[in-house]
Amino acid sequence: MTMWMVVILAGIATFAMRFVFIALFKRIAVPPVLERGLRYVAPAVLAAITVPALVAPGHVWDPLNPFLPAALIGGVAAWRTKSIGAAIAVGLPALWIINWIA
Amino acid sequence: MATESGIAMRGGFKAVSPILLGVIPFGLIFGASAAASDVDQLAAWASSFVIFAGASQLAIVEVMGSGGAAVTALFTAIIINSRHLMYSADMGRYTTRESLGRRAGIGYLLTDQAYLVSSTRFPKPDTSKGVIPYYFGAALTLWTTWQIVTTAGFFLGSVIPDSWSLEFAIPLTFLALLIIAVRTKPALVAAIAGGIVAVGAIDLPYGIGLMAGAVAGIAAGMISERWLA
Repeated sequence: MTMWMVVILAGIATFAMRFVFIALFKRIAVPPVLERGLRYVAPAVLAAITVPALVAPGHVWDPLNPFLPAALIGGVAAWRTKSIGAAIAVGLPALWIINWIA
Repeated sequence: MATESGIAMRGGFKAVSPILLGVIPFGLIFGASAAASDVDQLAAWASSFVIFAGASQLAIVEVMGSGGAAVTALFTAIIINSRHLMYSADMGRYTTRESLGRRAGIGYLLTDQAYLVSSTRFPKPDTSKGVIPYYFGAALTLWTTWQIVTTAGFFLGSVIPDSWSLEFAIPLTFLALLIIAVRTKPALVAAIAGGIVAVGAIDLPYGIGLMAGAVAGIAAGMISERWLA
């Protein structure tokens, strides 16, 4: 029963957080300060997800882990091609090779 | 459906296809760990469409499965998912002409991948005509995949050998999106600040470091505009 309560309440809260501004900006204009800030949501969030995942996998500081060099190789592919698929197609085999050598 | 939006929708589908390589093993892992835990099985399975946010679903199963308090599980899930407030604000700029039903659908389907992939498409609100069908193409693909793979993980276990390291496709996806998103100098400042603060906060509970990094990054980007833009 409690598991159901947690799932349903988390579902309602998550939907509310996803929908609130989509609902609100239909009625009010986006404040200019917020509009400026929104430009940086994607780079800021993406760095806040990616950098810790690569230098501290599993929340433990470990800059010598095999993910980091593999990600650098995948990152070069992404930079040259602007393609997610290329980053994966290059980065994942790079990880396999690094794990195989190490 | 007008062909123009059909093409945009297919564009969204194509854009998320490579991302599924990381989403599939993550969904299998969620399903498998839910099935292996002590929690109400039907509720854990239902969380894939009731909540539809993988990291928070996994956190709930972990907290509840290890005998943690329901309030802790709920609070953790809300913290982890609070980043959606920012996605909602950005998406909200492009959805003002949509009906209530479609806006509710856009909100329900709002995930990291759907938002971040679509955000590569909308630098200018006036020229972003195809953004909404593009978003739906991406978001519905992710939703359908998530339902299938979490259910499969439930019954089959995680199936894919750990040694394939397919989950590594997730950070690679976000890294590629990061590289695509850094198009201006202030955006680079935002990314550097966001990354540094998030790493500094790795010891904080999951989700808080992400939000701290995001807020610091946005602030740094806005402040740096004065000198760099």
